[in-house]
Amino acid sequence: MTTTGASEAARVFSKLPALAGLDAATLEALARNAAPRHYTAGQVIYLEGEPATSLFLLESGWVKATRMSPDGREQALLFVKPMDIFGDIAVFAGTTYPGTVVALEEVKAWTIDSATVLDLVARYPQLALAVIRRLAQRVLYFISLVEDLSLRSVEARLASTLLKNAVAKEGKLFVPRREWTTFDEMATRLGTVRDVLSRALHTLEEEGLLRVERHEIVLLDAEGLAKRGNSK
Amino acid sequence: MPEAQSTDDLLRSTVLHTLADDTRTAALELRVGVLNAVVHLGGAAPSLDQWRLAESIVASVVGVRGVVNRIEAPGAPSPMRTINIPMGEKPRGER
Repeated sequence: MTTTGASEAARVFSKLPALAGLDAATLEALARNAAPRHYTAGQVIYLEGEPATSLFLLESGWVKATRMSPDGREQALLFVKPMDIFGDIAVFAGTTYPGTVVALEEVKAWTIDSATVLDLVARYPQLALAVIRRLAQRVLYFISLVEDLSLRSVEARLASTLLKNAVAKEGKLFVPRREWTTFDEMATRLGTVRDVLSRALHTLEEEGLLRVERHEIVLLDAEGLAKRGNSK
Repeated sequence: MPEAQSTDDLLRSTVLHTLADDTRTAALELRVGVLNAVVHLGGAAPSLDQWRLAESIVASVVGVRGVVNRIEAPGAPSPMRTINIPMGEKPRGER
């Protein structure tokens, strides 16, 4: 890693919420061992069941992690936005990657070799704490995903997912649809199939809770959606 | 699950050897992941025929329950598409 590359990596890492609070020495140690990677939209970053060789720190672009269910259906595990990390579970568990990760758009990421990550965690206590914090957040996230998939209807999951991803602008509450947010993609995210998702959207639209537009989903009744999101 | 892990490791190694031993796929830079006896393929192939061939070679390996083909090739579907696959029999002894 060149000095310029390492300083660029350190600059990026200092802005990652998952690494917040790390001192300069720890950030520099991470940055010295990081390598830049670029991926185009649609490119596989790693595959489910591949040896976990690296930890990834995402600088720009979105990626999605999916896993094949026992009945052969793809289930979205998570969508990772810029300035987050992924690949961490397998690296620290010492297993293969539990899901496949693909780039949804142009992606710039930094990778750190798994063995190096483990060595750095052993040497820098602040990093170990940051890792524990991030893994704990992941556990909480997956608990809520299990709860969603096992206890809530598709309409309820859809309502709460829309609310979680909504942005407010000029008095309007809406969920912007990115280029890759297709119906198939949304269905995978909610653990269902396209037809069921279409019906759920139609139901919520008929109830006056939302309006589906070409580039966004407008949330017309946030309170009503929240009620739906909390129902079973 | 360490037992499943080692079964998958073994299957991954078999798949990698099978692809390397076949003259039609040996030169391709394919990536292979295996979890719960489902093989995930990545990497690149120069043609759609080779894309299909790699998948069928892997599907015929004993113990493979399904193949998720995310190989990049001209004319092939995007690796980021949603993939649902028919699943084969579970290996004997697995519940």
